[in-house]
Parts: sequence; structure tokens; C-alpha cells
Amino acid sequence: MKILTTLKKVVDVELTINVKDGAIVEDGLQYVMNAWDENAIESAVQLKESSKAETTLVSIGGGDNSEIIRKAYAMGIEQGIHVDDPALAKADSFAFAKVLQKVFEKGPYDLVITGKQAQDTDSGQTGILLAEALGVPCVSNVIAIETLDDQNIKVSRLGDAGTEILEVALPAVVTVSDSINEPRLPQLRGIMMAKKKKIESMDLAGLGLTSDDVASPKSEVVEFMATEARQAGKKFEGDAASITAEVVGLLASEANVF
Amino acid sequence: MAKVLVIADIKNGALGSSTTELLSKAKAIGAETAVVAIGSGIDGLIPNLAGAGSDTQYVADDDSLAMFSAGPFAACVVDAANQFGADMVWFGFSESGKAAAPRVAAQLDVACATDITDVILDGDQIAIVRPAIANKVMQRVKINTAKMVAVIRAGAFEATEGITGSENVVKLTAPEADLKAVIKEILTDASGDIDLADADIVVSVGRGAKNQEGVDMVKGLADDLKAGFGSSRAMVDGGFMPHNKQVGQTGKIVAPTLYMAFGISGAIQHIAGMSGAKVILAVNKDPEAPIFNLADYGIVGDLFEVVPILREEIKKVRA
Repeated sequence: MKILTTLKKVVDVELTINVKDGAIVEDGLQYVMNAWDENAIESAVQLKESSKAETTLVSIGGGDNSEIIRKAYAMGIEQGIHVDDPALAKADSFAFAKVLQKVFEKGPYDLVITGKQAQDTDSGQTGILLAEALGVPCVSNVIAIETLDDQNIKVSRLGDAGTEILEVALPAVVTVSDSINEPRLPQLRGIMMAKKKKIESMDLAGLGLTSDDVASPKSEVVEFMATEARQAGKKFEGDAASITAEVVGLLASEANVF
Repeated sequence: MAKVLVIADIKNGALGSSTTELLSKAKAIGAETAVVAIGSGIDGLIPNLAGAGSDTQYVADDDSLAMFSAGPFAACVVDAANQFGADMVWFGFSESGKAAAPRVAAQLDVACATDITDVILDGDQIAIVRPAIANKVMQRVKINTAKMVAVIRAGAFEATEGITGSENVVKLTAPEADLKAVIKEILTDASGDIDLADADIVVSVGRGAKNQEGVDMVKGLADDLKAGFGSSRAMVDGGFMPHNKQVGQTGKIVAPTLYMAFGISGAIQHIAGMSGAKVILAVNKDPEAPIFNLADYGIVGDLFEVVPILREEIKKVRA
């Protein structure tokens, strides 16, 4: 069983993000492992521990990704591939899926586990597009992996009607929610070992792609704008009975919600 | 004239509010409108779909479509989009929409964008606006293909009164079953709770509720108001609330008229899911809680003390 996980380097959403002249101000930004990918990595490592799966991760673009790849090593991922190329600067989800397809075919892999979205774009498309490109089943928003054998994976996903339990044939792609697990903190021994491990570097040519394959995005961000911040309204402190009555009065008369 | 195909949001045999919102917007931009309805035993909804503003109804009604499965669902949408010649395919912001939209885009070989708050047409050029980075910024995105698939955020467009369509039904053939992805079971939410995405009022509970007693008390207020009942992540992780009630970047994105947050401090990820509410009321013991920075009305107090008073006072003003 060979499992591929994906890992994106993203901006830390906990810090302030400023926008100037239609672009995000780089100064003061910090980059971290995409939180949902961290759940994907934890899932893969758990499967490695329970069913002797081999685990590989691939990270695309972003310049120096060694820090987050080594963190994934320290969590227990065995091999890391970093695909980077100047032509990826404008890549959209379709281009990422095309790159992942090539990495997948080099494996080939039995199962791909990705985060359900990246915390920078919040788009949630790449894993599904990869499955389409490969012509394999995809289950998105997975909250539990129930069983895995050589032929099938059985998962639970959170759908509109409730929890859906599906069995899909391998190879397959699953995209995971952060409800699926609590990613482990790397231990010192893992961190030390991770420092010595190799990261395989690849460019587009190494995957049999050209810049033309990724350079014509179907969509592109042309401008960033600051989100209109909500203003703090009225804050009431004091005797609970009187301030609550006052607020309900305002909700009815001023906000017209009752 | 642009042609917009809207995916009907069907829940328990009824139409969700996104269908009317999306058809209203399509009409407002002067588009020719069609809707695709997918499910089992849904013929009865056709007059409602015409009434909501669609000029053509593509209907895939088959026992095999009773439970959502992304593959067959996407196949029906692609069929309708091709028959209609859709320039844009609009999904509401549901889990099924998010799962099916990229597949539809891949099969039509057009751009896809999710979580959209606005669509702008300039001649043949389409641009969309969407939040990113946990709602911390907005993006304007240029669509480089002539057609596109869009997943549109709940409440982004207002449903307008008095729009009409016409009944013109085209039956779709159900796609063959997807043998590679088999649905074993759906554990439905049998609580009868109001869907958070459709609710006009959402009452949400956070860590400040402490225990099941606190959760139940706040739920009582939600019941009084016939409101959707949601939660912060902390209460889901604590096992007090089910996953499908989590409001936030990772859970449900809501846009009610009134959002009431009880014992929720206001983590970025939670705010990303509820800041589209028209009016926000926050109740929290901590006067410095970040949620007060965006609440229209803030009550500094213990929810165990405040909620019973709120219930009484609301009953009075509603009487």
C-alpha cells in the first residue's frame, strides 16, 4: 500500500494580513504548513502504523519548503518530494492537479490523502480535480477512515444530510476535514532524524511537463482587497436583567430583527 | 444574453433558500435561466422551480439519485449544462455543491471558483469576488475561460420578490451507477433542526456554555426563536455538539439576519463563518473577548444568567 499526501506552504492566518495597492503586503507574514494538510499527514502516518503503508508527501511551489517537509518527516512521513518551477507562479487548481497527476503516476500510488482546502485560498478544488484527472473516485470532507484494504477504502464524510458512509475502490483520492484527527506534535527524536533525511527535488521537466502545461490558468487573482471590517457596536456591562432587557429592546426597535 | 444554470438545492423534498437567491441574481443580470433538479420523487417541486424564476427545468428524477453521490450528481449537471448551453453553472454553498462543482468544471473544461460573493459581467469577460485567507482579504478573480462553474456563498445574493419563470420541463436520463464509489449508509440528522445555511436566525454556543446543561439551555432559546443551532469548534471537539453544527472556516458558513453568539470568544476561524450576518449579538463573560470587536450588540455577562432573561424579554417583545 503506497499512500501519497500533499502539503502546501501557506500564510499563517493567525497574523495580521495587510493589503496595499491590490496586493498582500509580504512584510511581517509568516508561512506554515496548511492546517488541513497536517490532518492529511496525520491520517497517512496512522495508516502507516496500523497497516504498514508506505508514505510519501509532495509539496508544490513556494520556494524553500524544507521546513514544513521536515516537520512532516518528524511526524512520521517517510519520503518527501518538492516540485518547484518558476512557471508555477500563476498556477491555478487545475495546474496543481496536473502536477499531482504526474507525481501520482510516477508512484503509482494506491491512495492520495489531501487536506480538504488550503487555508490561503480556501478553495477546496485541487484534490477533487486530481481525482478527475486520474479518473479515480474521490470523497471530499472526510471525517473518518473506517477501513482500508488492498482493494477498497471505507470512509465517513460530512454531507448535507448528515454523515455519509462510502466505500470506494482504490486507487482513490480522499480530502480530509480537520475533524478527522488531532495532528501529533513531532517528538525530539523524530525532529533529529528528520534533519538528516533527503528531500527529492523535481521541476516540471522532470515530471514530463512543460511550462505551457501550467502557464495558462483558467482563472487568476487580479486584485486583493481589504475585507470590510465590521465595527464594534454597543457593549453593555452591569446588571444582567437591565442590560439584557435594554439589548432586546434595541434588537426589536433599532435592528428590527424580532 | 448569458445563460445561467442553477443547481436546485433540495433538502428533505423541499427547496433550500439558495435556489431562489441564485435565480434572483441571474434574472437581475438579465440572464436566461434554467435550473437542474436532481433526486428521487421530486416532480412535485417543478412548479416551485418555475415560480422561483427558472425558464427551463432539467429534471433527473430516479430512485438511484435518492442519496447524494458526487459522480452521478455531477454527470446530471454536465448533461443539463450541455443541453442548455450554459455560460455559467451556479451551485449554492453546500457540501454537495462543493464536492460536485470541480468535477463539473473539469468535465466541461472550464474554470471553477468556490465561495463566491459576487459575479461581475463585463461584456463576455467574467470576474468573481470571493474571500480568502479565512475571510481576512477579498480577491477579485478574472475568469480566463468563456464559461465557468461557480459555488456561491449563502446569502451573497438576495432573493427578490415577484420574479417569475415558466414551466418548461426537460427530463434527464439518470446516469449509470458509479460502481467504484458505493454509498453504504447516510446517518441523517434526525433532530429536525433547522438548516444553518437557511436559517434567518442562528443561535451558536461556545466554550462558555461549559457543559451539556449550558448547551441545552442555549438550545432552548434557539427553539423559542425557531432558529438554527450552531456551535464553535470547541464544543464539537468537546463532544457536546455534532460536527455538522460547527460554524466557521472549516464548518458551515452562515449569513443569517441575526447571529447570536453565546460564550464564543471569536477565533478567526469562527468569525470567518459568521461575519456575513446582518446583525450580531454576543454574550460573553470576558469584556475583552475578540467577538465584541465585531458584534453590533454585546452583553458582558454569564450566559447562564443572561439566557433565561433573554428568553423572557424576547417573549415580551414578540407578544
